Amino acid sequence: MIKVPELKSQYIWAVLLVVYLFTAIQPIGAPFQMSDATIKAHDVIESLPPKSIVAMGGSGVFAFDLESSAAQIAAIIQMARKGLRLVAVPLGTEAVQFEKYCIDAALVDKKFGGPWTYGVDYVVLPYLAGGSAALVSFLTSVRSQVSTDVKGTPIDQLPIMNDFRSYKDIALWTCPHRDFPIIARYVTGERGIPSIAFAQAAAYSLYAVYMMIYPDKIWMTNGFLGGAQYEDLEGISGLGHAAIDSYAIISAVVIAFIVLGNIRLLSTLGDEKEEVKEEKV
Amino acid sequence: MSALRTYIRSYMVRIIIIIGILSGLISFYFVSPEAVAVATELQTWNSAAAAWTLFVGIITVFARYVRSIMKRTQYWQYRAYGIVLMVVWVIMGAIVGLYSDLYQTAFYSTKITLHIAILGQLVFFFTSGVYRTFRMKTFRTAIYAFFAMLLIIGNAPWMLATFPQVDKLTYWLLENPSMSGERTLALTGGIGGAVLGIRILLGLEKGALRATEAS
Repeated sequence: MIKVPELKSQYIWAVLLVVYLFTAIQPIGAPFQMSDATIKAHDVIESLPPKSIVAMGGSGVFAFDLESSAAQIAAIIQMARKGLRLVAVPLGTEAVQFEKYCIDAALVDKKFGGPWTYGVDYVVLPYLAGGSAALVSFLTSVRSQVSTDVKGTPIDQLPIMNDFRSYKDIALWTCPHRDFPIIARYVTGERGIPSIAFAQAAAYSLYAVYMMIYPDKIWMTNGFLGGAQYEDLEGISGLGHAAIDSYAIISAVVIAFIVLGNIRLLSTLGDEKEEVKEEKV
Repeated sequence: MSALRTYIRSYMVRIIIIIGILSGLISFYFVSPEAVAVATELQTWNSAAAAWTLFVGIITVFARYVRSIMKRTQYWQYRAYGIVLMVVWVIMGAIVGLYSDLYQTAFYSTKITLHIAILGQLVFFFTSGVYRTFRMKTFRTAIYAFFAMLLIIGNAPWMLATFPQVDKLTYWLLENPSMSGERTLALTGGIGGAVLGIRILLGLEKGALRATEAS
């Protein structure tokens, strides 16, 4: 049998680098299928009446949460189109920067030509330290936890905050962060507020159980693919679409390397048996 | 004096743990306005304590790094660089504000870009790893490789675009076998955490602040 050589890691890395560079320079527009899960999440926001307050918050690391941002940015564009209002509630140290990034990337502020005005249609609160205890306290009484927004403006001077005093004023919670369980437990489980998790692909199966526990209260999208699907539903092309090209090709390349590894194994089977015989002798 | 200090430390940690537990349980099991007021107060304490721990972290890192720099231990240059960065970021945050475009651009262009680059490398290691480890030498590795490939193919956009029906199978796999495995790990970790907490309360574990000694 022809012997297939063992590949050095560097060769594999070179192939992947070429794939990334190719898809970055020449987008191929890889096709993808819409999923029911994403349509349901999109429909929930679509069904909210204008002026409803949607909270966006949670805790996570910016670089990990970037995967979730594809769907969250599209959702913010949808909220602005529908005339909803948004309160960002950062529960992690990097969440302030991440949530600002999502809002800025959605280009919904008037300074970018969008319909939203800061303080009237959306606001970003400062980082709430204390994890789940801080969240519970915040939900019970917003003013017990925050007295200013992230810029230091007293919340009484922000029109949107006059309509937002406790969890009873929240129509929907969206979580573009890794730590969704505290939202599922304290926001949806204990207080009955519906929530959407824009989950990373690696977190989807871990948190899917919450959709089963609260089938009409929790919805999820799945990673960059879910982000691209959400963008499709909003008629835009953003980070999700950009990631899908490399996502599509890399998934084929990974399979190809698994097959190649097994061909290499098959081609060396005879050698291994001979080596064992020699050892016995 | 040392015995008294250990005694205080040991009971202080236990009291803090009990207060922490109460802050979570009061609002869950009692609905009276008084109970809610107590719970809210305890949760505010918790938030203040959590904010303080961030500051304690900076002090601890500074103390360790300064000691290392003074003694010129291995990699002291990186620690000096780390201290300079921390000071620069704190000053910049205090002057321009966390929500300013300047702070955002600086944060995104340095910490986040580097972190994303590190995460991006995982794909290279992952692919190189699956090439070597998914070789079906035994029945066990064959099963493992088969289901891994099934999930990769099932999630691949080219497969879903060609065969939309695969979407149902993929989501079934994610929401059932994959979910149950991940939940098992999470539950095991949770049970381990609860057992550890009980051991600390009983003084069987070396806990925070060196309050209790290992038996």
